[in-house]
Amino acid sequence: MYGTQSKIDLALEYQSQIQILRPSIHSRRANLTVKFQDLYGFTVEGNVDDVNVLNEVREKVRERNRVWWALEASKGANWYLHSTNIGQGGGRALKSSLKLSSLANAITLKRLIRQGIPPVLRPKVWFSLSGAAKKKSTVPESYYDDLTKAVEGKVTAATRQIDHVRTDNNNNVFDIHEIWDWFSDHHLLWGLTLLAWFPLDLPRTFPGHPWLDTAEGHAALRRVLVGYSFRDSDVGYCQGLNYVAALLLLVMKTEEDAFWMLAVLLENVLVNDCYTNNLSGCHVEQRVFKDLLAKKCPRIATHLEAMEFDVSLVATEWFLCLFSKSLPSETTLRVWDVLFYEGAKVIFNVALAIFKMKEDELLLTHHVGEVISVLQRTTHHLFDPDDLLTVAFDKIGSMTSNTISKERKKQEPEVMKELDQRLRRLNSLNVNGK
Amino acid sequence: MATIGHNNLNAKLVLLGDMGAGKSSLVLRFVKGQFLEFQESTIGAAFFSQTLAVNDATVKFEIWDTAGQERYHSLAPMYYRGAAAAIIVYDITSTDSFSRAKKWVQELQKQGNPNMVMALAGNKADLEDKRKVTAEEARVYAEENGLFFMETSAKSAANVNEIFYEIAKRLPRAQPAQNPPGMVLVDRPAEGSRAASCCS
Repeated sequence: MYGTQSKIDLALEYQSQIQILRPSIHSRRANLTVKFQDLYGFTVEGNVDDVNVLNEVREKVRERNRVWWALEASKGANWYLHSTNIGQGGGRALKSSLKLSSLANAITLKRLIRQGIPPVLRPKVWFSLSGAAKKKSTVPESYYDDLTKAVEGKVTAATRQIDHVRTDNNNNVFDIHEIWDWFSDHHLLWGLTLLAWFPLDLPRTFPGHPWLDTAEGHAALRRVLVGYSFRDSDVGYCQGLNYVAALLLLVMKTEEDAFWMLAVLLENVLVNDCYTNNLSGCHVEQRVFKDLLAKKCPRIATHLEAMEFDVSLVATEWFLCLFSKSLPSETTLRVWDVLFYEGAKVIFNVALAIFKMKEDELLLTHHVGEVISVLQRTTHHLFDPDDLLTVAFDKIGSMTSNTISKERKKQEPEVMKELDQRLRRLNSLNVNGK
Repeated sequence: MATIGHNNLNAKLVLLGDMGAGKSSLVLRFVKGQFLEFQESTIGAAFFSQTLAVNDATVKFEIWDTAGQERYHSLAPMYYRGAAAAIIVYDITSTDSFSRAKKWVQELQKQGNPNMVMALAGNKADLEDKRKVTAEEARVYAEENGLFFMETSAKSAANVNEIFYEIAKRLPRAQPAQNPPGMVLVDRPAEGSRAASCCS
């Protein structure tokens, strides 16, 4: 397809030639693409090796379960709440007599979290360690219910974007016959009774997922997104959050907990203004990322720069969707395990790791399309989270939240200046154009 | 790198337009011949490539399909910078999306590559009974602004390949060396390199 073939392409070609000469069960199996469901119900396409990797991951998850249960048995339930927080999540004031044991707990905890929280414990552990529980405890018990009731039926810019209702055909988005036709086409006649409206950005969030892509899933996702848009009107609704909130719903199981996780993520874990107005926070993160790539992976950075390939072309989506659109679900959630405990710097570790893992292949690319295909192939097939996280935390070298904050401060003025200039140019354009 | 020989051309193409206008659907129809009723919403941008044979030449499109939500517009320059062609997409059932398309045209005229081939696509042409923007209105606008115009339907495939063929035909055959597709993607802090960029 591209002018220069990468090593992988050549290897694949070679492999397929062998297959023609001497077809073996093994080579046929390896090339067979199969569809299967992963741990969180997503349909993935891969070869038999991928299926095997995923089975190994399932086994590792069971092993993690045993480890965590054993710790609960020896240290007591919720032992992890009594650890000095060495990451960025919500810490607790502790009595000095407890300090030593809590520090030991904290060290164990950091290591354990990097090795992965078992999916069954995720809702509980995330909720406490991220600070979501604390955030929730500062408002009345009925906050979420009251919020969803209060916003029901309200129309704002955010709800219009979530529902994809346009102002100019607001009253007649879809008529009943169309809804009927759609459900017939999709063999979902029963859904007709559940839906009074027909939102569009909701079915566009992980379409085909066995729960998210149902009337019930759409309704829950909508309530979380709309609820949040009222909590913070600066963020309102930003595309990208639909994927994040959807995964939170899958993990947390209850809408209310997913809502609080979204709140703590946007208000405490991530850098400010990632999703607001002109995504200025995201622009800052991208610049910091480029600098870090140049420092941590100088050969790749130089090679890509010579090709005039801007890493933001691919990394923007990683930062805004927190990898949920690129990595397999369990791998994404393993990243989030660490994200909620150690903070937003984790996104840099992981993004750098993706490049680092494929250094040799990337250095052989000659074209934008090749770079993107290497990165996409890599991310989509990272079924074993440890492959990625080992590189992210052991091979990138340490980066403290502090250094990253300093980097951000350095980049901020330039980003604001540029965004402002762009806005002014566009405004002058409109004046001249009218 | 950008232009290979006389008969092969690489062309960076960007799709811009309001959210839900059908940008990703047009690309999916063109690249894979498929249509999905619910296309995953695009975040940042998605990349595709597709090669077309036009007369005796081949044109390899490197397509950037961008996110439509307004706040994502601040990212757009990264994708349209150095582009040889743009398709500005609106939804014929939405006047808002047509206004948005006009704003994109203005921005590209001011900030984009001056030789850029621009196409205006009135998508969802299959939804005739919901039409809010007449073909005539769009055609007049396109003529006044030096764009070519087609109504398309990613759903029925009407005019989808045609619009890409038309762009391929209109691309200048010999791309000026100082302005290859894919150029000046990086917006670096100051340092003179910005002076070389036509649109940062």
